Amino acid sequence: MQTATRRSHARLRNELNPPQKLIGWILLAITFLIMVVPMWNVIVLSTSTALDADASGIKLWWNRFSLEGYRYVFRVSKLGRPFLNSLYVTTIGTVIQVILSALAGYVLIQRELPGKDFITSFIMLTMMIPGDLTIISIYQMNKQFGLLNSYTGLILNGLVSGFSILLMRNYFLSVPHSLAESARLDGASEFRIFRGIYLPISTPGLTTVFFIEYVGKWNAITIPATILTDENKFTLPLMLRSLILQNGVSTSGGMIVPTNAIMSAVVISTVPLVLIYIFAQQFLLSGMTLGATKG
Amino acid sequence: MKSYLMKRISWKVLKKNRFFYVMLIPIAVYFILFNYYPLVLGFVNSFQDVKLLGNTAFAGLNNYKKVTASPFYQQAFVNALIVNVGTFLLQFVWGLALAVLINEMRHKFSKSLVQSVTYLPNLLSWSVVGGIWITILSPSGMVNGILQKMLGKDFRRIAFMAESAWARPIFIFTGAWKTAGYTAVLFLAAIVGIDPNLYEAATIDGASRFQQISHIALPSLVPTMKVVTVLGTMGILRNFDQVFIMGNSNIFDKIRNLLMLIYVDGITKFKIGLSTAAATMVLLVTLVISFIVRKLLKYDEAYD
Repeated sequence: MQTATRRSHARLRNELNPPQKLIGWILLAITFLIMVVPMWNVIVLSTSTALDADASGIKLWWNRFSLEGYRYVFRVSKLGRPFLNSLYVTTIGTVIQVILSALAGYVLIQRELPGKDFITSFIMLTMMIPGDLTIISIYQMNKQFGLLNSYTGLILNGLVSGFSILLMRNYFLSVPHSLAESARLDGASEFRIFRGIYLPISTPGLTTVFFIEYVGKWNAITIPATILTDENKFTLPLMLRSLILQNGVSTSGGMIVPTNAIMSAVVISTVPLVLIYIFAQQFLLSGMTLGATKG
Repeated sequence: MKSYLMKRISWKVLKKNRFFYVMLIPIAVYFILFNYYPLVLGFVNSFQDVKLLGNTAFAGLNNYKKVTASPFYQQAFVNALIVNVGTFLLQFVWGLALAVLINEMRHKFSKSLVQSVTYLPNLLSWSVVGGIWITILSPSGMVNGILQKMLGKDFRRIAFMAESAWARPIFIFTGAWKTAGYTAVLFLAAIVGIDPNLYEAATIDGASRFQQISHIALPSLVPTMKVVTVLGTMGILRNFDQVFIMGNSNIFDKIRNLLMLIYVDGITKFKIGLSTAAATMVLLVTLVISFIVRKLLKYDEAYD
């Protein structure tokens, strides 16, 4: 009885007092609204008529529900092609990247590999070179190898990152070394140890790398903007940019893309990421912070 | 010791490990071609006068002198510094406050809802975030709609994206809007990792929850704050995507930053020497800034 009262007393102390709580709730609610309202606004605008979407007002509810924005964006703006371009380039690139990161991460945990320190610093050093600062040279390099305006170029640029390799390495380090040792004594090949022991245990790490890289590639702007001029190869972010420019304050002439169409393109660009986020969410927190604290 | 090493790196050992070396070949090739080669190429080009046609000539430090003398690059440096430092500070405070407040939430569902929603903008590309805010801030957009509701009929709509006075605040705000949730995730992970015994001891000593936050949670977050700060300083002069998407001729004077200028000079105007010199300088300045920040924070000492 006495312990029970003591515990409830402790619980009481463990909460903020009411005014503090109220301030906290208000701050949270404001942030929540600042995050949610714009996104909700996008959804409403994308499913409104062009007339309603371009009219002034707060527009948080439909005047008339309509899918004409989505129709416009596929028929007139031809968003299908960039969507498929993005899907193709991102998916292939991410799958290859996960495989390469896992392989390299596995090499880096070998305790008795001659030259391991050199290899590790060779990889770590690439993280110090900010890719966006070398865009001019990256453009030249892509030109020299004939990668401008090609899917191969879009896939190859950014195909390996030191960050993902180190993330996989950190993950593999948490696998007990004795597992691999006993398998080795039983005569298992290195590849079997990698595939049979390390990969299955490391699903959260693999998912994290897949997620981070998928989002990064899907959203990439700098590299596509640098190596693409051919509109047929445009990825979604570039296409979206040209739609925005055709609607916004920056250009007055030319064809004006209605706001509901742009908001539809925004929704279409976002849906794949949200799906992947929902799928990967259960693994993410540990993986993301792993990268940030040990990177 | 040395002879031991020599013996270790024998043909036999290399052969035994050939599986690992073969695995590394594609990665080594990639890093050499896509990281080290462009770095060297840029460095070499920064000392040359690269012509579209004809020979390239050695230019010495001319490109560097041109960059430092250029009012455009000076302005871009100031713009990058103001916008990125502002964005960093805002998202830092915002993320920290979010993490602390989310941690105080007891209701599981609303807790994970707030966490997911605040993290969501971080998933979006600048094309998407730019598209959203350009629309919301347009003369017929939501912000003007709200202001009109509040201020009544006399209110004259503001074209936010076309007014240079609004440019920097908008860039700072949208930048923080995009990243605050991610920063909160980092802080939250550190808060969750705090030893519960500390809280228990404080409770027994009669500390209020507010005291627990300010005396236990915040001090425990210092290492994470340092990580976030050091990561932030690496990007302090670099932010291409936001300007590339949200910039327009009305406001470029206030927000055009170094990377944008390098991109336009190098790729559109083909001034390879000038732009690579600028990029090299940005790299060096970034390294210097991050060195100073690391020293100020005693970053490396804390982690050794």
